[in-house]
Amino acid sequence: MKVAFLLNDLQLSGGVGVVVQHARELALRHGHEVTLVLVREQEAAPWQFDGLAHLRVEGLDDARRERFDVAIATWWETVYSLYELDADRYVHFIQSLEDRFYDALSAERPAAAGVLDFPLSYVTEASWIAQTLRQARPDAPCLLVRNGIDKTVFRSPEQLDVRVGEPLRIVVEGNPQVWFKGVWPAISAVGRMREPRHLTVVTGDHSKIAPGSADAVVGPISHDEMAALYGASDVVLKLSRVEGMFGPPLEGFHMGATCVVAPVTGYDEYIEHGWNGWVVDWDDEAGTARALDLLARDRRLLTFLRANALETARTWPTWEQSGVFMAAALEKIRRDPPPPPYAGARQLAADSRMALDRQRLLMHERNEYRRLAKPALRLKRTGAWQRLKWLREHPAMQPVWTLVRPLTRKLRSKLTG
Amino acid sequence: MPDWQERITADSRPATRAEHELRYALAAPLIRAAARWCDLGCGAGVAAAAALGDEPYGGSALLIDRDAAVADAAAAAVQAREATALALDLADGDALATLRSTLAGDEPLVITCFETIEHLSDFAPLVTLLTELAARPATTVLLSVPNDDFWAIENPHHATLWGEGALSELRSLLPAGHVALRQVALQGTALLPLDGEARASASVALAPGVASHLLLAFGAEAAKLGPALPATRVVQADVVEQRRWERQRESDLLYHVAALRALEARLAETEAALAQATAAAAAPTAGEDDDAPAASGHA
Repeated sequence: MKVAFLLNDLQLSGGVGVVVQHARELALRHGHEVTLVLVREQEAAPWQFDGLAHLRVEGLDDARRERFDVAIATWWETVYSLYELDADRYVHFIQSLEDRFYDALSAERPAAAGVLDFPLSYVTEASWIAQTLRQARPDAPCLLVRNGIDKTVFRSPEQLDVRVGEPLRIVVEGNPQVWFKGVWPAISAVGRMREPRHLTVVTGDHSKIAPGSADAVVGPISHDEMAALYGASDVVLKLSRVEGMFGPPLEGFHMGATCVVAPVTGYDEYIEHGWNGWVVDWDDEAGTARALDLLARDRRLLTFLRANALETARTWPTWEQSGVFMAAALEKIRRDPPPPPYAGARQLAADSRMALDRQRLLMHERNEYRRLAKPALRLKRTGAWQRLKWLREHPAMQPVWTLVRPLTRKLRSKLTG
Repeated sequence: MPDWQERITADSRPATRAEHELRYALAAPLIRAAARWCDLGCGAGVAAAAALGDEPYGGSALLIDRDAAVADAAAAAVQAREATALALDLADGDALATLRSTLAGDEPLVITCFETIEHLSDFAPLVTLLTELAARPATTVLLSVPNDDFWAIENPHHATLWGEGALSELRSLLPAGHVALRQVALQGTALLPLDGEARASASVALAPGVASHLLLAFGAEAAKLGPALPATRVVQADVVEQRRWERQRESDLLYHVAALRALEARLAETEAALAQATAAAAAPTAGEDDDAPAASGHA
């Protein structure tokens, strides 16, 4: 079978790593001809994912000249390039409901949600996404293929390394600048702990982590290094607000670390409160700190959770098994008729109408603000204002403005609201 | 490492045999109503023979196992008008092509595939074939997998791991309208008159619980399984064997605790003796003191 996976880029991210793993399995174990199609101009060299060497990578222009059995979008933006390829079947591999990544009023949000209206077959990695899609698009085939774990990297220990009398070793992982990763509340919760602890933050941008808030800041690091870090840790603390399959705690499980998590989408796929992990409430830093203190104090409980986390990990599928399901899913999609083309049309029309209404509202708001700002704009064009501006910016006048500023604060506040 | 036996034989644990027999018992009415029955991964045929009972199956049975001798044993064990043994490796593409051609035809067919696909590292071609066959108007497929997830069992004979998650993945590949069942383990006890040879049967109250195995049925007659539920099979425990095993484990534990204590005592003694010897070696002896020069340098 000739398969194309469409990606924005090949930069280091969990989502891209999953696609590369599936592509590699399909190529190496199932004999499929797999191409990674990059739909954007590439600004940076690709991350050296394991298995990339076995795959053909090409741009959209080259891919347009080929014919594929199955073309697979792997991120909402790539859906908009999907139909540029000539393929028998079009598939969307959904790793999260991606509109949730964006602010409610952003332009991306309706565009990311709108791709679910297209006539596509779905493959997804999490049960909660599959259930949502089956409700939203009962007409469209939706197949579940859970992500595997690279057990040669996340190689579980034969026996748990039981630690007593040491600080609780905690890992917080994620980009702190991404709002839904919940890195700041996680660091803050650790800061509120009373028991001895050691916090390692894994992030590509060290500058954002305040000095003293973590015992170690590392990253970006390879999967091998990440596995070693999990192996030396007791708890993976993850307070994300949006997740697809929720991989990091599972990787920690493989190395004998339990987790403290918020009940984010995907957590219940393998995390069981009080059995292999600890589920804390949303926006409850004090409660999270108390949970961490409990684990630091009660080493019997910590060992119980870690031991069960390791057992949970033992039965999680490998990438080989996951690849079998992906191969079977694509085979079924190719064998079965495509989804009905007009089934999502009603929703598509409604979403387009909604986007139009939203755009109209924004335009109305913009025009209203413009009208309100008109006197100010007219004032700004006057010679007096220009002279005042010149004086305001003149270096010699700065000491005067410094003196005057507190006196005019009330007036400025009234003017600007 | 848990105690298991991969092939079900006459020597298998009664509880293991019972759970295997129940799966075949569930399939038995469908098998009897079909002209052909194909059992994939048939093993020695013990459970199938028990479930079908003494009344011979009137159709033709095709018993398939990777091991030819085992398939032959199954063909001998199963009472059928016609029983054929066939050795096939279900992970092999050519073998599946043979299977496809062997099962060609429109006669009513039941395929059982119990506790088999977890032995295949690439089960996708077999699943594809089974769904393809089940799309025919008169073919029904029943398959089962163990719930490895819950017990975290690492079975060296299993190439893939199964549980509710993997079953959800598999179900997404199957046609709509398939039937999914959980098989739950039973425990219990009964009271019988001490005198006499009373025989009795008892009913069992059932509730949703953790599955020991997960079953799927799809194809023409799959919906007929609904009225057959709940299906139970309870066998009397072999308490003599169970008692032997448990007593052995307890006595072993007692022995190892005692042995550990003895070793700890010996270790403590050895450590004490070592400490004493180290202290003695470090301390200056009386003779050495005599011979040592005085601080003043005088002898």
